[in-house]
Amino acid sequence: MNAIEIRNLSKSFRGMFAVDNLNMTVPQGAIYGFIGENGSGKSTTEKLICGHLVPDKGSIKLFGKDYTDAGVRARVGALIESAGCFPNSSVWANLMMQALNLGIKNRDEEIKRVLKIVRMEDNARIRFKSCSLGMKQRIGIAMALLGNPALLILDEPINGLDTDGMRIMREIIVDITRNLGCTVLISSHILGELEKIATHYGIIRQGKLIQELSAAEMDARSRVFVSIKTPHVPSALTVLQRKFADVRYEDECIRVYDVDDTESIVRCLLAGGQPVSEIQKNKVGLEEYYIELMSKKEGA
Amino acid sequence: MENTRELKFEQPSFFKRLKGMLGVDFYRLFHTPLFYIFLGIAAIIPALVSMGAMGGGAEGEAAEATAMFTNAWQIIAAKSPLYVINDMGDYANMNMVFIFGGIMISIFIGHDYKSGYVKQLFTTHAKKQDYMMSKTLLGAFSMVCMCVTYMIGGMISAAGTGLPFTIDAGSLICAILGKMIMSLGWASLYTFINIIFRAKFGISIALCFVLGTGIPVIGAAAVIGNSSALNIFLYGSSVYACLSANFASVVICLAVSVTWAVIYNVCGTLILNKRDCY
Repeated sequence: MNAIEIRNLSKSFRGMFAVDNLNMTVPQGAIYGFIGENGSGKSTTEKLICGHLVPDKGSIKLFGKDYTDAGVRARVGALIESAGCFPNSSVWANLMMQALNLGIKNRDEEIKRVLKIVRMEDNARIRFKSCSLGMKQRIGIAMALLGNPALLILDEPINGLDTDGMRIMREIIVDITRNLGCTVLISSHILGELEKIATHYGIIRQGKLIQELSAAEMDARSRVFVSIKTPHVPSALTVLQRKFADVRYEDECIRVYDVDDTESIVRCLLAGGQPVSEIQKNKVGLEEYYIELMSKKEGA
Repeated sequence: MENTRELKFEQPSFFKRLKGMLGVDFYRLFHTPLFYIFLGIAAIIPALVSMGAMGGGAEGEAAEATAMFTNAWQIIAAKSPLYVINDMGDYANMNMVFIFGGIMISIFIGHDYKSGYVKQLFTTHAKKQDYMMSKTLLGAFSMVCMCVTYMIGGMISAAGTGLPFTIDAGSLICAILGKMIMSLGWASLYTFINIIFRAKFGISIALCFVLGTGIPVIGAAAVIGNSSALNIFLYGSSVYACLSANFASVVICLAVSVTWAVIYNVCGTLILNKRDCY
């Protein structure tokens, strides 16, 4: 069963389409990385799924049921833009209000449980406005986790976080997917971070989903390359370009694409009298794949 | 997916949803100072009104000439259902609670939108209808509480100023009951105004204040006279619950209050369903 199934979804603001005939499928149990440039329609799509916005047309199904179905909605948690908490109330009070709304019976236990997941057990009594950005994001996730959700929708949850904050957030997301069986739809600009956790990707551009693929498919499509560091770049480039089809100087090293045999490259360079200071096998990452896809679409 | 599990979706009933929403609202009401501040205001205002109404510190005949109240219970309700205002004594009574209630509901709902909390509510099973109903009931409850503190404050200040307490108990009970019942209609009106203006609660407060003071009905009364037709409006019925009220007055208040509450709730739900919640 798919956790999210969107068909021909459109939403416009003052005649401008933010989401335009969007089709999207998020399998159950996936961590779905939702990627796109600013204003591409990521947040609008997420807000539509959450029921914050009213669609112009199209259908949204969550676990096979209409997205307005109260039974399904009771199992959806979201962190869209900000945590949506009362600044003068304590972390505990904010979570208590959401627990009351969800009709959770053992509220105190449930709040303790979600605070433990997001590693905020010791900060429950402080006011929300006194929390740091990273803490606020974690409280937002804790709030979304109340009531054991089947689907979590996270809009840029790692934006503005420091390295440690990003790591904690990443671990939390992986934990809740693995241990709680939650499906996660996550949008982010930090593709390197997304790449570490996502099992599926959806790439959106100008309100349309231009590509949807699993991490395995992404891996298969990604080009392999060998990166080489040498003190004599121009001459080494000439030597390699004589033997290999796609050789480029990028990111302060020479890259030989579609080759994963380092030995033949080393042999070739040594035969041409070029020293090698460093050599490494690599794959094109999500970020490069995304940039390449975007530039192709721009050209088209 | 390897971590796919069998999911069960329990359909929450209307009462379960409403109970949850009311739980949130009442928890917030009792855990924020706003409610207690307004209870305090409702208690203090009648004291100020009675002091002013007793002639503002004048003594003897001068005080009697300027006194607007001749009975302690006039702090609660006017002697007769007068929509045309002759003096402040006809106006300054428990109806003022409805103005405080409007301001309180505006701040309450405005913060829901401003903080983004409303997003959290609507992401879950909560329906727009639940939101309207819950806020209406919460507002009505707050105003009833304010009526009680207003009455306590009013009676203490009336005792202090030496006003007589003689009254027909039946009429007094009907007047107080009528005003409390009107809280439901007023709360639904204020909730409706606030879901239109949302985070812009400055506009909501201004509009709630204008309607709460009954200016449109007072204006209409100045044109058409002291007509009982004005009872179809919330302010009209609120005035009708006066010291000469009887059981019929309570029934009228109940009918008007419930009718407007239903109308505003239906309209409010329709608007919420059609509009984005930002």
